[in-house]
Amino acid sequence: MRPYELTLAAAAAAIRAGELSPVELTDSVLARAEAVEGRLHAFVTLRADEARASAARAAHEIAAGRARGPLHGVPMGLKDLIDVKGQPTTASSSVRADHVADADSAVAARLADAGAVLLGKTHTHEFAYGLTTPQTRNAWDAGRVAGGSSGGSAVAVAAGEATFALGTDTGGSIRVPAALNGVVGLKPTYGLVPRDGVTSLSWSLDHVGPVTRTVEDAALVLATLTGHDPRDPADATVPRQGRRPYPEGDLTGLRVGVPRNYYFDRVAPDVESAVRDAIDRLRDLGAELVDVEIPMTRYVQAVQWGLMVPEATSYHERTLRAAPELYAPDVRVLLEAGELLLAGDYLRAQRARTLMRRAWTRMLDAVDVIAAPTVPLTAAPAGQQSVQWADGSVESVSDSYVRLSAPANITGVPALTVPVGQDRAGLPVGMQLIGRPLGERTVLRVGSAYEATRADAGRLAPETGTPAAAESMPPAPPAARHLPGRRS
Amino acid sequence: MPPEAPVPADLTPQDVAQWARRAGLPLESERLDAVTATANHIQAVVATLRELDFADVPPASADTVGPEVRDAAV
Repeated sequence: MRPYELTLAAAAAAIRAGELSPVELTDSVLARAEAVEGRLHAFVTLRADEARASAARAAHEIAAGRARGPLHGVPMGLKDLIDVKGQPTTASSSVRADHVADADSAVAARLADAGAVLLGKTHTHEFAYGLTTPQTRNAWDAGRVAGGSSGGSAVAVAAGEATFALGTDTGGSIRVPAALNGVVGLKPTYGLVPRDGVTSLSWSLDHVGPVTRTVEDAALVLATLTGHDPRDPADATVPRQGRRPYPEGDLTGLRVGVPRNYYFDRVAPDVESAVRDAIDRLRDLGAELVDVEIPMTRYVQAVQWGLMVPEATSYHERTLRAAPELYAPDVRVLLEAGELLLAGDYLRAQRARTLMRRAWTRMLDAVDVIAAPTVPLTAAPAGQQSVQWADGSVESVSDSYVRLSAPANITGVPALTVPVGQDRAGLPVGMQLIGRPLGERTVLRVGSAYEATRADAGRLAPETGTPAAAESMPPAPPAARHLPGRRS
Repeated sequence: MPPEAPVPADLTPQDVAQWARRAGLPLESERLDAVTATANHIQAVVATLRELDFADVPPASADTVGPEVRDAAV
């Protein structure tokens, strides 16, 4: 196995054992990026020389007995909304052409303290205000969307261009591209990971989190981001290396909520069958499956938009007046239209969010996690605007990708996406595991137990960039029909 | 939607021009149709919240129930 193919945990183990140096690993990942970037465009900037120098420093420290932990010497990418001192934070926008960050973001500082090697900044849909990341191509099929807004981070990880990456998630922007590229993405509990120095889309919905190849890797990155000392016995919020208070893979006694409404409505048949098969595996691991009714689903989109649209417009107030022509057309019109929303609309959304949080808290009393699809459809062809569902309804691709992710942003609960196979076209499908507030350990435990049942866990996207044959997926009834060039 | 909560009227491009000026964001005439369509679409989505009877429910920012936590590292 070549170094760029290693998961974070495997690379860390090899470095710790002296079998792999951070320099070899970083060189391998950079060579991989050089080989595929012309096709995928995951990165805004790659800083190869600085990365090699950083890897050399890590190698020297480790050789001198000053190993800092599992991220030490491991190459990673940061979504280009995340400040790194002295580097531009472009937000993949011309608006930020002259920007240079004057300090590290909190998460960049924590990764630097952990000795991680920064490869460069990854593409985002402009200012995170979109679900496709049009600059970047899907790692499994370059003719399809990467998903967004953390499309660059997900593609880089899926293609072996970074051993892990960070993204941000306001309505699904970590989980959507992770699911569409067959990798793991974690949106932590609101407020758990600091957002200082991270460009905001919507303050009350934004989260920062890891994009990784395995659930174990996500746990390692989360532990670093939260700043918890893994040796601290009082730490009850995040998983720790070496601590396994439950038999590995055994989910006996755990209650998994299976939504009877919303999460399986208007979902492509292949996606539904892959996720239901994964839920069956959770049952086989000992979990008790419990039907749950998702509350207030009629208001999810209204609350999401009622919060996000005015908050985003407020963030961009000055630049929208100073240089509106520098925004991409799709982002500019949303920011301008946001000026016309009333304070009453925003307050109604915040009050509805209170009701929704309370209702979700009651629902989560009955279960430990909820298992559901991450997105209703796999990666759409680039340029496709809308999808028609079996019930005849038409939905924009972006609305579709947000639909199942937004509840966890509104309520602030942790949500993890895990690959659960492919559809008939060979494109990856993600299952979402949603937990209680600060329930990261449980969500990661369930994801890890599921992942251990799969022979393909942690694998990279196929070399060719075209989808492989579907994994034991039976022929399905006609999927949702894709309608190019239409808007809902 | 209850009878006491009428559906908000769509904005016309002329309304949008006036509202935008009021917001301190003068829009050129060629922007008006696109902004009007987007603003009306957004309004149609968020208007469903008018169905809810909020009684004494405060906005989430003032509500103590929920998972919001401070940076757990501090």
